[in-house]
Amino acid sequence: MSAPGPLLLDFRGVHTYYGPLHVLKGVSYEIYEGEIVSLLGGNASGKSTTMKTVLGLVRPTEGTIRFRGEPIHALRTSEIVKRGIAPVPEGRRVFPRMTIVENLEMGRYTRRSEPGWDADVDRVFGLFPVLKERRHQLAGTMSGGEQQMLAIARALMTNPRLLCMDEPSMGLAPRLVEDVFDIIRAINGQGTTIFVIEQNVNMALSVAHRGYVLQMGEVVLSGAAAELLESPLIQKAYLGSA
Amino acid sequence: MHTLDVLLQQVVNGLALGMMYALLALGFTMVYGIIELINFAHFSVFMTGTFVGLMVLNLMGVTAVSASLQGPALVGTLIALFLATMTATGVLGVLIERLCLRPVRHVSGTAPMITTIGVAFILINVMLLTWGPQAQRFPQLLPNWRWGVGGAEITFKQGVLFVVGLLLMLGLWHLVRRTTLGKAMRATAQDADAARMMGIDVDRVVVVTFFLGSALAGAGSLFFGLYYGFTGYYIGYTTGLRAFTSAVLGGIGSIPGAVLGGLLIGLTQSLGGQFLGVKWTDVIIFSILIIVMVLRPNGLLGTRTPQRA
Amino acid sequence: MDLARWRALPLARRRQIFAVVLLAVGAAFPFLTGNAGNVDAAANAFTYVLLALGLNIVVGFAGLLDLGYAAFFAIGAYGYGIAASGQLKPEWSSVWDLFAYTGQVSRLVVPGQPDTVQFHFAFWPMLAVAAIVCAVFGVLFGAPTLRLRGDYLAIVTLGFGEIVPVVARNWDGLTNGAQGLGGIRTPRLFGYDFGFSPYPYYFLGLGLVAVAVWLSIRLQESRVGRAWMAIREDELAAGAMGVNHVHYKLLAFAMGAAVGGLGGTFYVAKLTTATPDMFTFPVSVMVLVMVVLGGMGSIRGVVVAALFLAFLQSVILQELTGWVHALGRLVGSAFLQRIELITSLELIFGVILVLMMIFRREGIWPAVRRVSALSPEQQAAAPSRGAAVQLSWSQAARADAAPRTLLEIESLSKQFGGVAAADRISLTVRAGELVSVIGPNGSGKTTLFNLITGLIARDSGSIRLEGQEIGALPAHAIVARGVARTFQNIRLFNNLSVLENLLVGEHARLQAGALGAVLRPPRVRAEERAAVDRALEVLGLFGNRLLPRLDHPAYGLSYANRRRTEIARAIMTQPKLLLLDEPAAGMNPAETLELMDLVRALRGLGITIVLIEHKLDIVMDMSDRVIVLDHGVKIAEGAPVEVRNDERVIEAYLGRRRRAA
Repeated sequence: MSAPGPLLLDFRGVHTYYGPLHVLKGVSYEIYEGEIVSLLGGNASGKSTTMKTVLGLVRPTEGTIRFRGEPIHALRTSEIVKRGIAPVPEGRRVFPRMTIVENLEMGRYTRRSEPGWDADVDRVFGLFPVLKERRHQLAGTMSGGEQQMLAIARALMTNPRLLCMDEPSMGLAPRLVEDVFDIIRAINGQGTTIFVIEQNVNMALSVAHRGYVLQMGEVVLSGAAAELLESPLIQKAYLGSA
Repeated sequence: MHTLDVLLQQVVNGLALGMMYALLALGFTMVYGIIELINFAHFSVFMTGTFVGLMVLNLMGVTAVSASLQGPALVGTLIALFLATMTATGVLGVLIERLCLRPVRHVSGTAPMITTIGVAFILINVMLLTWGPQAQRFPQLLPNWRWGVGGAEITFKQGVLFVVGLLLMLGLWHLVRRTTLGKAMRATAQDADAARMMGIDVDRVVVVTFFLGSALAGAGSLFFGLYYGFTGYYIGYTTGLRAFTSAVLGGIGSIPGAVLGGLLIGLTQSLGGQFLGVKWTDVIIFSILIIVMVLRPNGLLGTRTPQRA
Repeated sequence: MDLARWRALPLARRRQIFAVVLLAVGAAFPFLTGNAGNVDAAANAFTYVLLALGLNIVVGFAGLLDLGYAAFFAIGAYGYGIAASGQLKPEWSSVWDLFAYTGQVSRLVVPGQPDTVQFHFAFWPMLAVAAIVCAVFGVLFGAPTLRLRGDYLAIVTLGFGEIVPVVARNWDGLTNGAQGLGGIRTPRLFGYDFGFSPYPYYFLGLGLVAVAVWLSIRLQESRVGRAWMAIREDELAAGAMGVNHVHYKLLAFAMGAAVGGLGGTFYVAKLTTATPDMFTFPVSVMVLVMVVLGGMGSIRGVVVAALFLAFLQSVILQELTGWVHALGRLVGSAFLQRIELITSLELIFGVILVLMMIFRREGIWPAVRRVSALSPEQQAAAPSRGAAVQLSWSQAARADAAPRTLLEIESLSKQFGGVAAADRISLTVRAGELVSVIGPNGSGKTTLFNLITGLIARDSGSIRLEGQEIGALPAHAIVARGVARTFQNIRLFNNLSVLENLLVGEHARLQAGALGAVLRPPRVRAEERAAVDRALEVLGLFGNRLLPRLDHPAYGLSYANRRRTEIARAIMTQPKLLLLDEPAAGMNPAETLELMDLVRALRGLGITIVLIEHKLDIVMDMSDRVIVLDHGVKIAEGAPVEVRNDERVIEAYLGRRRRAA
């Protein structure tokens, strides 16, 4: 991969609480333009809270989050999305009683007054031909894998600078998981920076450039994906010491 | 009269009534769909709408005893009446939401619903104190033309109800299905968190929903006044429970359900009143309410199942 | 007597003194006031106090929002009204001979017509009859609501609350329709007829209120009351602790309705008339406002609020209106001189509801969470950390005992929307073992617990505890058989104290029912004392973490203490099998170690433990066996060391290696 671009997302020293639980204990990571970065961790590691914090659904008590140099940790979610961060939520969260096209419309909500709808839709249908076939079908009637495609497509409708994906493999059959990660590679190939929060270490590190491992709210490992993949420390982080 | 004619007549009457219940049920069900709140105050807003309509007409110089209007003057008056009243009730709905309901929106349990009961009582009694307990005459703007349909009669009033009601429902349907705002409303109703993640301002959607729902209640209130020729502080209660049953029967949270439910309850009221006696219609309607809630909480067209506690 | 000495008295003694003083004041009031009008107003007020106390049982204790409570008021009222007036006049037959003999009915002879029955049932037995009949209706109206959520439950009760006055208005033959019943006989006591003087009604009302208060206090501080409050706080967790929600919800409806019926009978006997308008929705709302204003579940709050609002309606607003009129004359305002404040009564109700819900949901005078009467010895008990861990009811496994199977699961399956959360899982747990269940997110571990404990129904497969099939049993029955659990996201009864939470845990092991709760015979008192003793024992297992916080409400505890309380509560069910769902989640290393010591100690006491945990170090350290789930399937089982190095397990956690690109 060519040299990474400028710093896109700077997550620094963030502490977040979920009720009384101290979920993120001073977490820091960076994402540069053009990369695929993966945040890994097992159960109760704090992964999902990270995504919620980036999106402004949960506020950090300490620390800063900068996107393209501007602080975003105090902004409303709609503002953050307008700046160019698009989410693919955990569990897909497509709107079940709306059609594929309507879901895509919702994905583009923050840009609804801008022209270019046709171009955006065509691009997305190009990546996901199956969605084009079914474009007037209700999202709730689709399979898990198709819904995952839709969730990704929906997020791409804003032409985001940073795509945030929360556990894209969750609940999907292994073969579908491979397809999803193929797509992640393809999207990144078209120039979108991607932040993948995942439990499935092997899959995630096979497409990511760099990774961070979260355990109990703290980053315990980080580095180039290839190195992390071979490291015995990963197994330790997930399964405990020998 | 032939029994079939009686039947037909009651069907016509029932459908006209049903339009009114449907309009009232629509606003109620829209709010439930978005924030899962049973809003008792909605029906008091409906009642207040009739009084607002009275005041608007009085301001325009139209009273129960003034000369009847014709042609363009009549149409103009009606348009002004509907616009003014619907705006006023819409604003009232938004005020209620901001002042009384927002503070308790995140409280779990029945506290939000109890709050709406309180608001309902406040509205009812403010109207009672202002206008007194006796019924008020509502100007009969619509001429009393009738036409025969088979062995039954349909009045001009009923015709207007059908047409205006249909127009409003089509307008709502278009808004909800075709406009971006309407889709944002549907998205919020289906998954508020995901809607937030799309950048939708959920709070604003709630306000818009309350406005629209209350405006529809305002339209329904004018139907009541124009159709029955009177109003009183208590009409929110009686009509309200029927509209509520309509929403539940059709499927709470479902817009087509509210329309279907409204028409069915209207028919139940007129047919039941004819064949079983007017005094028992309330018992019938309440029984329908209980049966639906216990046996099929989804209603006829609803998609959400009320969960156990 | 100064404050220090007052505080030193035991609670029961303080209450007795307080009750005597209140009753004395109540009894003296009519003579102190000298104004029969005030006595009359007070007697009427007592009706509302009764109603409010009755609704408090349903709404305040059990958390069931009843918007149609006036229905029971009506049934009690019309019941007595019909029985004590000339409304019904059936033809005479020999069926009525017994009633005539006891003076309840007379034979009316009218020349030229068949003889008819004249009803004049005595008031006192009718009180009891009204209570019973209303209790039956309470069950009838409550039964359809059992599966409904709070809002919907309220609507259904509203529906019933509306049907009753409509029926009363239209069933002319039974109720004389909209005109209502008249000529209802007044009560007679030993030949003395209450007549129309307010004084005897005042004392009768005072007595009824005293009984209702006593009943409420007794119920609140009993096994029944705790079961109600557990249902109110968290119905699911209540079931998981052995509370049968169907039984207790219906009991709450029945008792609340019975008290309402008493109020109705009393009121109508005093007014000698009953009309449908006395029992409409605004009446139900008025009673609700009393309960909300006073504080849902707070007996003293509800009594005070009810008295206040009743007097507001009957006396205070009139007085204020007089002052406003005077003010109007003073400033020459015609408007002020015309105002009748009484018409704004419902407006005041609405304002109260809105303000209370927004600003003070717990009520003006909420109930105080108080330790229920610990004896001095119990209060002094405070074992420190490190004392030998003992539980009076547990039996440590004998060293030579043959290993026996405690839990046997065979081919258990459950699907959610097409996805298998459990896919033909089979496993056994032997008595005395400590088994851990691990697996990545979404592998079905909590689903497995939910299936075993009866929270969700299986699709197929069998679950046997000590050889007996439990797969079809409801949650509370499984608790009685000896299976207890904690929840991943901690489900305590937040507004209950630590001790009360634990006592709910004992629900399945105690026996006192409503009658025992109210009468409190020695057997029940001994049972409660023993229950508290056992609770203190269990709290002692946690050293000095929980004991000093016995009467703290659960919502105020630290996270770690909430965990501990939940585990303590589960232990109170005296389980043979304890299922712990991520007990160490959110705990720091020191707390985790302490917890694991406890788990080991429990095991030493003979409790079999199944643990879901993610801190795999601990799991490996403590478990006899480890079971690994992935996507609802059991993929590995065995000793910790084997499992940790199992390829399939590693792959499940880290994900399958990607096929060559």
